[in-house]
Amino acid sequence: MSERIEQIRHVPQPLGAVMPRLSVQHVTKIFPGVVALDDVSFEVLPGEIHAMVGENGAGKSTLMHIIAGVHSPDRGEMTLDGLPYLPEDEKAAQKAGIAMVFQEGSLFPPLSIAENIFAGRQPVKPGGRIDFSTMRTQSRELLRDLGVDLNPSTPVADLSPSQRQLVEIAKALSQKVRLLILDEPTSSLTISEARHLFDVLRHLAERGVAIIYVSHRLAEVFEIAHRVTVLKDGKVTGVRQIGMTTPDELISLEVGRELSFDPDTARAPANAPLILEVENLVAPPVKHASLKVRAGEIVCLAGLVGAGRTELCEAIFGVRQRTTGKVCIEGVEIFPKHAMEAMQAGIGMVPEDRREAGLFLAMSIAANVTVGNLEKVSKGAVIINKEVERLAKDSVERLKIVTPGIDREVMFLSGGNQQKVLLARWLARKPKLLIVDEPTRGVDVGAKADLYAILRNLAKEGVALLVVSSDLPEVLALAHRIVVMSEGVTVGELDARQADEITILQMATPKSNSFEQNQAARA
Amino acid sequence: MKKQTEKWSINYLAKRIAYDRPLLLVTLILIISIFMTIKHPEAFPHWDNFAAVLLDTAQAGILTVGMMILLVGGVFDLSIGSTLAFAGIVAGVVVKDAGAPPLIAFLAGMLTGLIVGVINGLIITRFRINALITTLAMQGILRGVTQIVSPAGVANLPHGFKPFGQTMFLGLQSPFWIMIIIALAGWFAMSRMRFFRQFYYIGSNSKAAALSGIKVERLTLVGFALMGLLAGLAGTLLASRLSNAVVLAGSGVELRTITAAILGGASLSGGVGTIPGAFLGVLFMSLIQNMLIITRVPVFWQSIVVGIILLVAIGIDQLGRSRR
Repeated sequence: MSERIEQIRHVPQPLGAVMPRLSVQHVTKIFPGVVALDDVSFEVLPGEIHAMVGENGAGKSTLMHIIAGVHSPDRGEMTLDGLPYLPEDEKAAQKAGIAMVFQEGSLFPPLSIAENIFAGRQPVKPGGRIDFSTMRTQSRELLRDLGVDLNPSTPVADLSPSQRQLVEIAKALSQKVRLLILDEPTSSLTISEARHLFDVLRHLAERGVAIIYVSHRLAEVFEIAHRVTVLKDGKVTGVRQIGMTTPDELISLEVGRELSFDPDTARAPANAPLILEVENLVAPPVKHASLKVRAGEIVCLAGLVGAGRTELCEAIFGVRQRTTGKVCIEGVEIFPKHAMEAMQAGIGMVPEDRREAGLFLAMSIAANVTVGNLEKVSKGAVIINKEVERLAKDSVERLKIVTPGIDREVMFLSGGNQQKVLLARWLARKPKLLIVDEPTRGVDVGAKADLYAILRNLAKEGVALLVVSSDLPEVLALAHRIVVMSEGVTVGELDARQADEITILQMATPKSNSFEQNQAARA
Repeated sequence: MKKQTEKWSINYLAKRIAYDRPLLLVTLILIISIFMTIKHPEAFPHWDNFAAVLLDTAQAGILTVGMMILLVGGVFDLSIGSTLAFAGIVAGVVVKDAGAPPLIAFLAGMLTGLIVGVINGLIITRFRINALITTLAMQGILRGVTQIVSPAGVANLPHGFKPFGQTMFLGLQSPFWIMIIIALAGWFAMSRMRFFRQFYYIGSNSKAAALSGIKVERLTLVGFALMGLLAGLAGTLLASRLSNAVVLAGSGVELRTITAAILGGASLSGGVGTIPGAFLGVLFMSLIQNMLIITRVPVFWQSIVVGIILLVAIGIDQLGRSRR
């Protein structure tokens, strides 16, 4: 108690002319085994868009959760417009005018847009009946402010991910906001939708709302933010004025060193044996796909979101059935009806969404590596625990997985280490062809370099690699050859040495009058 | 040295016991036993009473092995009580009304359970109707079918049918020993066998399991078939032990079985649980029942207590999860 009184007495006077909207002073937060935040101080002014960057696990989310009242700090204090601010819970934070748009949906899919926006605080008519028409009108206005024309009665379940994201933002804006927190708001938005969101945010800032913008994407930070704070390992490593810093400087603040990915100069010989041949494959929404991957070659599938790249991989791996066309492994046509059959043909696949479709989060590293290799660690029908241990230890060592031990549940690992666990599972099978869908999504910069090195080494060992990536610099750094897909069709092929981002984008952009273009035109 | 002392501090022990479910159950079982020995020395600490408790674990024990496997895989079966009764009646009808040899009748009872399990499994995997609904429907359907087949049950089963459930060995009737064999086999299978180990993956993340080459639907089908087979065995054993196939046998057994499995470390969301844990859960439930009988608590209170234990067990499970 006395400590709290002391904290109140020590409310600092703002240095500049403007009192910060929110000031965080010396906040420390310790979770069992990890110091998530270590003496962090940070402030955001009214009308300021303040970006927050850092690798995964740097403490961004923890800090945002403390501000939004989800966690309480172990040490340190906060002030809101100069007054002590220590929210008991999320409700208290909302009452104080702090709204947070979560990275993962906090919506109720079966309910309408309007009901979602006003969840828990629906306007009522006398007698306690919900005033649906007011709710709908206000929702429509909020959505129109965001530049989207959606019927507020539509169930959220019928919306696309990007539309859901906009509903989340509308929900946050429907309350009187003093401070708006956005965590990776553009991760599911198209470029034009993101642009629009930026306009909305700028407009809000002009009206005096303080905005904290958490993002991985430095390009966005430079486009929209006034200032940026960099977190690394729970500490603030720098606060910069945009315009007085560079992306390179921010990256070096994030990782503590300069990083660059040089394109791979090694190439598989042109006469290396063909491992994968896909000919005229049709598996809706894949309309027509043909490609080849040789042993030791890294072929990247580039294209826009929704171009059918993931679906093409699924068709090769047997979890999506092809209607016509051929898939051959080493010249032999295969007809996998189940992942197991594709695996027996020598194919492995690291899926796009590793938490949903790849990992067993509550299970140990050992268990996660072993699945798919159960035969290898068994004698007859019985699993030999020593073999499991050996396989897991080898994997941890070989891929440099950072963990206290092989019994650690994978949910406690960082994104990069989780991805390594998934790769280890497939490497143990020694596949001829490894399909990797978005190898570095949600992975921090340091781990990215490790993952690239692992993939390149695999290619050197003669594995054929088919990599899907939406990150063009990654495609250019990793690929030997690039196959571009657009609207379910493999539209062309480029040698990575001659390719550049503009050429790829031009090939990937649909020529027909597509749905996506309609969306873009409307926005 | 410092670690050593830390390891044996009261605090450390308390924490271990709270987080290690089997250890917690062993502790509770010991506490109840000591309490009952002091409070009711005339009734509790006697071989006859222990034998009664152990025999009481037989039926629930056999069923809980199957239920644990399903729960690890993220599903469960509510139809086992009806399956058990139906299998007993089929065995009774075959041995008494049709006059078939006892062994044939016994196998017919088990086969009945197996068929029910396969039907459950096929409905769930082929038509993708969820396990709760499928087995709830099956529970109702089978109760009705049983009453049509034999409205009053089959009483006074022939002498030749009795050995299955009434043979004594080391002072305990055969169902107990059959349960022990099944539990040991289940323990080995779930901890060491490649095939059964896959249930942990399915329960943990079925989508990832399929993409890792596990045949999720086939395993689910096998799980339900096994559960049906065990329910058939339990029903046939019960009929043999009582020399009487009862129409209302096994009502409420699914509540007791699921409670025991959850107590033993299973979770409704799948992926966790062990057979030894399940066995301890069953033993704990039987001991509670025994305690209620000795302290002369009225019968209807017993199912109230079982219900409360289930809620507490699930509550502990949720608490443990939110703490992670």
